[in-house]
Amino acid sequence: MTEGVISGGWEFVWAAYGITAAAFAIYGVTLVMRLRASRNHDH
Amino acid sequence: MRKGFGFIAFGVVLLLTGSYLGLFVAPAERYMGDVQRIMYVHVPTAWNWMLSVLFSLVCAIAFLARNNMKWDARLEASLEVSTLLAFLLCCQGAIWAKPTWGVWWDWDPRLTTTAVLLFATIGILALRSAVEDPTKRAIWSSVATIIAAVDLPIVYYSVKWWNSLHQMQSTPQTVSSAFHAPLRINAFGVLFLMIGFIMLRTRIAAARLERELAGPPVRIGEEAGELA
Repeated sequence: MTEGVISGGWEFVWAAYGITAAAFAIYGVTLVMRLRASRNHDH
Repeated sequence: MRKGFGFIAFGVVLLLTGSYLGLFVAPAERYMGDVQRIMYVHVPTAWNWMLSVLFSLVCAIAFLARNNMKWDARLEASLEVSTLLAFLLCCQGAIWAKPTWGVWWDWDPRLTTTAVLLFATIGILALRSAVEDPTKRAIWSSVATIIAAVDLPIVYYSVKWWNSLHQMQSTPQTVSSAFHAPLRINAFGVLFLMIGFIMLRTRIAAARLERELAGPPVRIGEEAGELA
């Protein structure tokens, strides 16, 4: 390993992308569920 | 509502394209290696989070100036999306900090001021859910948003004003051209996703406001009783 240079670290990269994708997906699903609930309430 | 889903779908396509380029096509950075690829989600999240806070500020000022509840619904939506983006920003930052700084978190000016704004927006959302009167809720949360938004320029300039562990803002001049495409595509991806989320969330807030302003439904029996 060269000093001052980071080697590897793909697990951190996947964790960052995974959390981002999961957060957007979960928020999107909650939005759809709340939209449906809102529509049912109106009818 | 279709527009909102359209924006989300377009945002997802852009994010998938930008992330593919960032993960598999762009070269590894000289010193940070592959860990630098976190930049392609972290920086677009940061830019769009700042935009969402700015939009919340616009909604708060517009509501107080015009007294139109549409702006309150937009404020509620942008505050919630802004909280989501700030939470993500802190998570991505912590994941990037561990291999580069050796710690998950540091009370550095940039991180601290970002956390302050995250907790401020959580607080405003909590305030909104605690106040039942729609008018009071709109006024109080608009004023609170304007106060909280004072932190936004502090977040932006914190790396210039103080000796910060966090790096300075990146510009096209300071970032290699090999990194431009995934960064820009993901920035637009998060932007479209954010716009779609805000549009749909505004719809939910507006529907609830309509119900609240219309008052409780009058039952036929109750009506007859009152008349009698």
